[in-house]
Amino acid sequence: MILRTDHVAGGVAIAAGLLVWAISGDLPVGRLSMPGAGMLPKLVCGLMIFFGLLLVLRGRDSAPLATVSWNDLRHAGPVCAFTALAVAFYTTLGFIITFSLLLFGLLCLERRNPIAAAAYSVGVSTATYFLFSVVLKSPLEPGLLGF
Amino acid sequence: MESTFDALFLGFSVAFRPDVLWYAFLGCLVGTLVGVLPGIGPLSGISILLPVTYGLDATKAIIMLAGIYYGSQYGGSTTSILMRIPGEASSVMTCIDGYAMARKGRAGAALCIAAVGSWIAGTFGVVMLTLIAPPLAAFALKFGPPEYTALLVLGLIFLAYMSSTSLPRTLLMAAVGLLLGTIGIDNMTGHFRYSFDIAELGDGIGIVPVAVGLFGLGEILSTPSASVVGEVITPKLRDLLPTRQEWRQSAMPIARGSVLGFLIGLTPGSAHIISSFLSYAVERRFSKHPEEFGKGAVAGVAGPESANNAASTGAFVPMLALGLPTGPITAVLIAALMIHGVPPGPTLVNDHPDIFWGFVASMYVGNLMLLALNLPLVGIFVNVLRIPYAYLYPLVIMFCVIGVYAVNNSIVDVWIMLIMGVLGYFLRKFSLDPAPLVLGLVISPTFEMSLRQSLIMSNGDWLIFFQRPIALVLIGIAAALLTLSAVAVLRRRADWRAKLAQVEAGEGG
Repeated sequence: MILRTDHVAGGVAIAAGLLVWAISGDLPVGRLSMPGAGMLPKLVCGLMIFFGLLLVLRGRDSAPLATVSWNDLRHAGPVCAFTALAVAFYTTLGFIITFSLLLFGLLCLERRNPIAAAAYSVGVSTATYFLFSVVLKSPLEPGLLGF
Repeated sequence: MESTFDALFLGFSVAFRPDVLWYAFLGCLVGTLVGVLPGIGPLSGISILLPVTYGLDATKAIIMLAGIYYGSQYGGSTTSILMRIPGEASSVMTCIDGYAMARKGRAGAALCIAAVGSWIAGTFGVVMLTLIAPPLAAFALKFGPPEYTALLVLGLIFLAYMSSTSLPRTLLMAAVGLLLGTIGIDNMTGHFRYSFDIAELGDGIGIVPVAVGLFGLGEILSTPSASVVGEVITPKLRDLLPTRQEWRQSAMPIARGSVLGFLIGLTPGSAHIISSFLSYAVERRFSKHPEEFGKGAVAGVAGPESANNAASTGAFVPMLALGLPTGPITAVLIAALMIHGVPPGPTLVNDHPDIFWGFVASMYVGNLMLLALNLPLVGIFVNVLRIPYAYLYPLVIMFCVIGVYAVNNSIVDVWIMLIMGVLGYFLRKFSLDPAPLVLGLVISPTFEMSLRQSLIMSNGDWLIFFQRPIALVLIGIAAALLTLSAVAVLRRRADWRAKLAQVEAGEGG
């Protein structure tokens, strides 16, 4: 049997539905005349499992898993990792330092000239900080150094 | 009718205030840029700028955000015509004949026809909105919990029926959205659900981190910079005017596209995308020279561009009159109104006439602004396309973080955005549409509340949905749509939705 995208998607949906159902144990379903907090989540879990099964059963109409291109993972993975690092250090380092580093890291990833990348990163981060925090009065994280 | 014109007059008195005009202009300008830039759609644009509107009153906020939405429909045509890259999904069909016209040296004429068609369709849509929304809102005041439950079920089924992906896929995504919407404190009993001792999750998952993650970050993760290349054709200002023959060829497609787009815009789903696809098919069917399509047919630009603008205006009718989002963009706009303490829905017209009519009137003005922006200034917008994508996408990521963080000053929201970005990336890989997920998330609290209230009202009797006439009609329509979908599945016949999926897949690839 050829493993297809809908087989995987359906399988994940069934697993997710079962997992959420399992962790919903302490939520009261209530009665039909007085539904509890667990009624809709369990109803929706049931629907997820049902539609997941439908996907698995009708999976032969979908593309084989082997034909899915993962070439962009080389771009997505590092971008995701850099962004996660930025989010993790955002409240500690503050806006300007965090985003200067994030922009610089991403531009280095794109093999841009390091000096131009550094100038762009610091310039854009500083300008954005002043645009949002001073002009638009939108709160940005000051961090330990105050900016 | 007289009262409608009186109310519209009130709206114009709001829309012509200099500060309101400024924010309408700002929205239109940002919307055009959002439409021009590939990889940034109107949803991410609106979501990112949502926190900027917190300091504004509700009228200015909604006028600016709506300007971004319909402005992006204008801007989307520029990249389609000049680079053969759709600035956003609804401009896919314009790429075909718009770029072919540009290659023939008629780029200016194609841009002009697209802009004028968009203006006519947008204005037509606003006129219809003016006439339809108030009576629809008055009718919706008769709705109780069973009617709302039935309406939301119909909305989800309609979305699934209109979707280019299969019914189970769409409903599966909507179910995931509904489930995410149950996170947080249960309003009726006070139970904490799936918050895992994270205090921020007590209020539930916000729509902004989910929408920005799925559509903004997800798009960036799926788009390596090496894949964004293109030759920009720069039109000359003197070439902007179409010939008399080109005007004649575009007149009827603009008219048909306006009506078709508005009607499709009323329905849930990716109306602005579907309308441009259907309009292209209709124009090809009506054309005396169908062989010209794909080689620079004027109707292939005029019809779809008019249709997607009329559809984006049509989507405001259920949003304003019923408080019902027909897609993720109107869902974010509803969230924007709610953040400002204005509940959208049937009571909006009577309780906040200045907001409702000011918003409607601003769209007449906004469409004129966009016409002025998109023709003489097209050369400036084209220059934006020269910024290398490698410099652009880090900037977009930064704005995504700023936008999401500013909603609640919560880093948890930013983590949710990142998780949703990764989810959006994988959903694209498995051809699962993230839009129903956002819609499910938005309607989840209303759906749960109205469903439970209905069951309490009827002492647990499900028949309440079949005993009240309006609810019965809505459930009947939903059942009919499900039956139609089931028949299509059993016959394994490729209809227009399958063809739309092929076009969207082509765009993605």
